[in-house]
Amino acid sequence: MIESYLPVLVFIVLAMGIGVVPLLAGFVLAPRRPDQDKLSPYECGFEAFEDSRMQFDVRYYLVAILFIIFDLEIAFLFPWAIVLDEIGLFGFGAMAVFIGILLIGFLYEWKKGALEWE
Amino acid sequence: MSELIELAWIVAKIVALVVPLFVAVAYMTYAERKVISAMQLRRGPNRVGWHGLLQPIADALKLLMKEVVLPSNANRFLFVLAPMLAIMPALAAWAVLPLGEGIVIADINAGLLYVLAMTSMGVYGIILAGWASNSKYALLGAMRAGAQVVSYEIAMGFALVGVLMAAGSLNMSEIVHAQAGPIWNWFWLPLLPLFVVYWISGVAETNRLPFDVAEGESEIVAGFHVEYSGMAFAIFFLAEYANMILISGLAAVMFLGGWYSPFHGLPVLGPMFDWVPGIIWFCLKICLFLFLYIWFRATFPRYRYDQIMRLGWKVLIPVTVVWLIVVSGMVLTEFGPWF
Amino acid sequence: MIEKVIFYVFAGILLAAALLVITARNPVHSALSLVLVFFTSAALWLMAEAEFLGIALILVYVGAVMVLFLFVVMMLDINIAVMREGFSRYLPLGALVAVIMVLQMLLVIGAAGVDLSGFAEATNPALSETNNIRMLGNVLYTVYVYPFELAAMVLLLAIIAAIMLTLRRRGGTRHQDINKQVRTTKAERLRMVRMASEQKNEQ
Repeated sequence: MIESYLPVLVFIVLAMGIGVVPLLAGFVLAPRRPDQDKLSPYECGFEAFEDSRMQFDVRYYLVAILFIIFDLEIAFLFPWAIVLDEIGLFGFGAMAVFIGILLIGFLYEWKKGALEWE
Repeated sequence: MSELIELAWIVAKIVALVVPLFVAVAYMTYAERKVISAMQLRRGPNRVGWHGLLQPIADALKLLMKEVVLPSNANRFLFVLAPMLAIMPALAAWAVLPLGEGIVIADINAGLLYVLAMTSMGVYGIILAGWASNSKYALLGAMRAGAQVVSYEIAMGFALVGVLMAAGSLNMSEIVHAQAGPIWNWFWLPLLPLFVVYWISGVAETNRLPFDVAEGESEIVAGFHVEYSGMAFAIFFLAEYANMILISGLAAVMFLGGWYSPFHGLPVLGPMFDWVPGIIWFCLKICLFLFLYIWFRATFPRYRYDQIMRLGWKVLIPVTVVWLIVVSGMVLTEFGPWF
Repeated sequence: MIEKVIFYVFAGILLAAALLVITARNPVHSALSLVLVFFTSAALWLMAEAEFLGIALILVYVGAVMVLFLFVVMMLDINIAVMREGFSRYLPLGALVAVIMVLQMLLVIGAAGVDLSGFAEATNPALSETNNIRMLGNVLYTVYVYPFELAAMVLLLAIIAAIMLTLRRRGGTRHQDINKQVRTTKAERLRMVRMASEQKNEQ
């Protein structure tokens, strides 16, 4: 089984390399004439007047947390999906209960307005 | 010694995949400009080479010769790392995609899971690029893109679960084998709602129009890669287009029968098209989806951000959950030719 | 042979990255090192033939959990200098926790019989030939159905807790209520006013 993952490993390493080589080529071949205006962060015509790393709406974090939970749910669904015809109705029932419980959470977040962006 | 030969063989296969992929990316940009200009009654690029066919090469050379600007307040290490993190998953996911009968670099059992894991890593390049640039527009674009990509990944994951149930395997080649037969044997028909959801979330995952608020030229100039120039920008560009082709390839494998011809197994038409290699069919299917990408870009106006999030969470996810229940019913009753 | 080399390379990267997590000055760097830690441990799990768990580790931890970490670390403007000050103060306590954890792990291994050769059974060829995701699926939803449903309860709890902790309605924001828009009636939007027609200026 591991042998079949060797190409994957090689591919990942090569893909990193493919990212590095053009960048290096860019640094080597392209001119480098930095000046202050060129290097300052882009703004629409005026000086950047504060640090751009601002605080963000908590909603972004909420989306990230909910994403983790649903991602886990998907991870649970994957093995279930491929053995469904082997585990039959009992397996279906088990997953129905699982999804049912999480559906309560989904409805709760819907009703609470956690999915609204304003 | 034999291990070295094996390694060289693997590298050769990867090069044989990546080089055509890059050419495809280059000419995808050309096709995009030509098709959109045709839709807008313009001519599009027609100066460099015959009908502008050398335009992508000229563009690549130009990007190569442009200065890579490192903004003064940027975190240099992360600024350079971000494009690499963007392109790595976009390429690495190709390892498990079967291009034809037995033509696959890594035929692993957990193929689809691997693809999902790789695409979920694509968000790092975007978030890091936005944060490392230390620019307002970049950060805004990165946050939007981050939240959007993760939201649509859920809908996409659920849609893929339907494919798994129908195919009964995570292996990409076996998923295609499960669809052997003419066009109505493919999964797009029984899984039509999931197919649509997958495609919409695929477009959103790649931050393409009409879901391109992360870049939104007219709002936040170019979003997360506003500070990138030269080759660093080119890598983001490459990653975006490689991702588009990847999403199209996945759609072809999971819903449109991969390398099978639409007439496979039919009495008269089937043998008539037997001489066409499977990889040609596969590429044609990819082209179909890529054309859809371009078509969308030319016709749809941009969604507003709250509309995007609403579509992802309140429309796509409920639709997939309902259809998963229907599919499990079909699997348990072994319905039709599909299950 | 090549497997051993790959194992030690990954193990080395894992340890170095783990060390970087706690020593890096920039919190974003430590978060990224943690990503690398998860990635390499996923590779190690794969080498131990735990195919599903390995890739699920990347999917869930690298693809989801660390994205949240990065969101938080990037946007909270953590003052690094203040955090540094505590380092030496918390070091003894941290070391104590680490020692206890090592002891616990040893106890777990000890419970399974200190004879480590027992682990070789887990990787016997008969097992690795069959698809290990399929095997996992066959038992998870039947034999272990009770813990499986408990996991659903834990996730539900997490959803509710996350919403309770983070959701605040800000005042003064405008947003579109689609239902209200669709359900609107003529009476709400249109007001008929009866007024005398304007007259031409009287002369």
